[in-house]
Amino acid sequence: MAIGREAWNGQFGMGRSPDAIGDMEETKCATATRVRICAAAAVVLIALAGLLALPAWSQSTPPADAAGKAPEPMRYGNMPPSAAPFGRYIKPYHEWYISPDTLAYDGGARSEADGDPAKLKTINIGFLGPLDKDNYDSPYGIAMLHGSQMAIDEANARGGYHGKPFALMVHDDLPLWGASSMAISDMVFNDHAWAMLGSVDSSSTHIELRATLKLELPIMDTATNDPTVTQTRIPWLMHNFPDDRQQGYALADYIFNQLKLKRIGILQVNNRYGRTGKSIFFDTARRTGHQPLVEVWYAPDSTDFSQQLGTLKASGIDGLVIWGDAVQAGLILKQMRAMGMRQPVFGSSRICYPEVLSIAGPAAEGLVTISPLDPTRSDPQWQQFRRSYLARFHAEPDAYASYAYDGMNILLAAIAQAGLNRGRIMDALRQHEMKEYSGVSGKVFFDDTLNDVAPVTMMQIRGGQFVYWPEQRTDWGGKPVTYAR
Amino acid sequence: MFLERTGKSSSCWAVLRMAAFLILATASLAAQGSSLYTKWINYTPANGFPKGEVYCVTVDGDRVWAGTRDGLVLLENGSVKKVFTTKDGLAGHAVMSVAVDKQTGDVWIATFGGLSRYSGGQFKNYTNLTSGLANDLVYGVAVQGKYVWVATTAGVNRLDTYTGTWSIFNESNAPFEEPWTYDISVTADRIYFAVWGSGVLSYDPEHNSWKPYSDPDGEMELVLYRNQGLIHNVVSSVSYNPGTKTFWASTYFGLSSYDGRNWHNYLTKDSGIVSNFVNAVRSRGNEVWACTQKGLSELNTSTNTWTTYQPDAKTGRGKILVTHPDGRTERIGSSTTLAHNYILNIAFQGDDLWVATAQGLSHGILQPHKEQ
Repeated sequence: MAIGREAWNGQFGMGRSPDAIGDMEETKCATATRVRICAAAAVVLIALAGLLALPAWSQSTPPADAAGKAPEPMRYGNMPPSAAPFGRYIKPYHEWYISPDTLAYDGGARSEADGDPAKLKTINIGFLGPLDKDNYDSPYGIAMLHGSQMAIDEANARGGYHGKPFALMVHDDLPLWGASSMAISDMVFNDHAWAMLGSVDSSSTHIELRATLKLELPIMDTATNDPTVTQTRIPWLMHNFPDDRQQGYALADYIFNQLKLKRIGILQVNNRYGRTGKSIFFDTARRTGHQPLVEVWYAPDSTDFSQQLGTLKASGIDGLVIWGDAVQAGLILKQMRAMGMRQPVFGSSRICYPEVLSIAGPAAEGLVTISPLDPTRSDPQWQQFRRSYLARFHAEPDAYASYAYDGMNILLAAIAQAGLNRGRIMDALRQHEMKEYSGVSGKVFFDDTLNDVAPVTMMQIRGGQFVYWPEQRTDWGGKPVTYAR
Repeated sequence: MFLERTGKSSSCWAVLRMAAFLILATASLAAQGSSLYTKWINYTPANGFPKGEVYCVTVDGDRVWAGTRDGLVLLENGSVKKVFTTKDGLAGHAVMSVAVDKQTGDVWIATFGGLSRYSGGQFKNYTNLTSGLANDLVYGVAVQGKYVWVATTAGVNRLDTYTGTWSIFNESNAPFEEPWTYDISVTADRIYFAVWGSGVLSYDPEHNSWKPYSDPDGEMELVLYRNQGLIHNVVSSVSYNPGTKTFWASTYFGLSSYDGRNWHNYLTKDSGIVSNFVNAVRSRGNEVWACTQKGLSELNTSTNTWTTYQPDAKTGRGKILVTHPDGRTERIGSSTTLAHNYILNIAFQGDDLWVATAQGLSHGILQPHKEQ
């Protein structure tokens, strides 16, 4: 039997399914002569297709740039060539997420009966986010709720859906692990929601994702950093927030290729955000020959970091990467400078908040972080949103509010286009694959997994001010940021 | 029933194909003389079945239990006997898995809302708040003697039905990378778990030991080598075949098997499986049934022949694609077919198949197939 199984090797043209071959073969061979001609031609075509299919399958080609010049094929996740797993040793047998059919869906949702707006009082949209003030993630969840609510209210001011208002069905994502796992079931069976937005915590988002594979409710994920939420081939989730993959690539390039640092230490918060967050940075550093010297953790409620900083100091690092939140990062900066540690410090996007500066004061000078958006942009779309948000919530909009506002607008537009049918709403979301979307948070670009892979924004504290600039990776060869796609 | 054979030959290919044909002649002849599932009876809203997805199906002697988006269906003698919903006491609307305790006749039901036991015409429910159940999103349930094993989104539970004692296994006491458990396959001395993000885990109750089987390349975005080990860590189901001492694991990234010594992986580009997105797998004898989102694919491990069953959306008839080990394909038509091409689960009743699809339950009946 083993021989028989191995006989599959080379029997099929590369990149062709048996079904495709069958379809090809099934064509018009009415006579014996034609059968032979068709078959011979099919073999040649299959062989040629096989030769050509390998590059065609392993790389997706984005549209031509504004100048009409076709850019180079895109790698999965905008990955630097040097960061490709096993890239220096072997070409993988198969690569995922780079084919237009990555999220192909053959289920029955599209043929479900449409909802009739005449029979509905409201068009319900589910919301799952951390809202309780005792929840560590609640500042992000509350901002996400505010952004979502603004988009809903604006849509209702424009007439809602066929005259019926959209309504947000709000569910609190509880801090106890798994406690909110029934939220999506409630949205489907009790709220009769047509789609949902959420959450911040990647575990909760994964739970939603697994449940929606069965319950088939479109999810707009506007806040999770975890890049694995779009690595499941489940077509029901769209993600518009810069994930840890993009953040990790940007930081690794900046630290190792631009600043030429060599001895990096990592200090991460010991929760899922910290654990999964730094992994892309860590792997990229390792693959590019810059294995981090030391990696230490801290509890989410820590205030004294002397033990961790002592370890880092003794390791002789020439730079520190913190994967955590702004409050702890502020304390870390203050304490490490007091210990005489002058190394440059870099951080993940959750550190890019005013708290880091207010807590660390002058010790924050020079800190470089990823920022999900550039709040100093002057374009009218951002400025209008900023003014409206400030007037309503008496606070500057952060990234979580901005991406939620954009995500909700994408969702509402999909409903307007598709009608009250969850399968077709998912189809409408999938129309964003390999396309750019311009929102208040800036320009994002969705790949074949419906994940945002646009370049990120960098931030540095200079003279007590947050200074922003677009990421410019060295593997782009000095070409403009837009070329990265 | 109609058959269209296809041929492809050129002078050099003909020689190679003839050699392969001679080697596999016995197997091919056996396949040509075999039976196929060309007769299908479907259960849909048209004959009293609930609308929407059928997530699971379980055969209990002459009875068939089907878990749907909104309730548990009992079929007897080819008709819907009863649809149980939350109004009848079921723990949740969506029913993901059903297991029958052959000793007691109790029916255990995994729902998105907790675990239910149907016994003596009454439901008893177990939830996170009322029992030791790890989480109310329950994906799988299986019975092993006095134990009921439960796959939840927060790990695995074991309920001792004699003492009522609950045990929980998760990342704190077992090698789970993630605790999200999907499916369970029980054998006499092992329990296999399909774990989303953690591959396949097996548990040896006698020695209280766990063994993980995971994707050796450790990367979500690639398969490094063809038969590298488990093809991907996002595993949707697992099925142990005691006859071949092989477990099969379905993923949304292809199909894997492990016989204790060798791994074999199957993708559309190197086998006859119709889709890499495999919702579930079940194996018995020399049959492996892959429930994919594009149809139902069967691998006959004796002949290394794949047979895929699909409805033809244009004609409403059935399409059967037989793919031989040498790559030769045959297309066969059938007048009846599966209720939908999106297949979620399968169960065996003698030679008959019961297939859970996105839009109804299908009963497949084996019919002699004669090449025309």
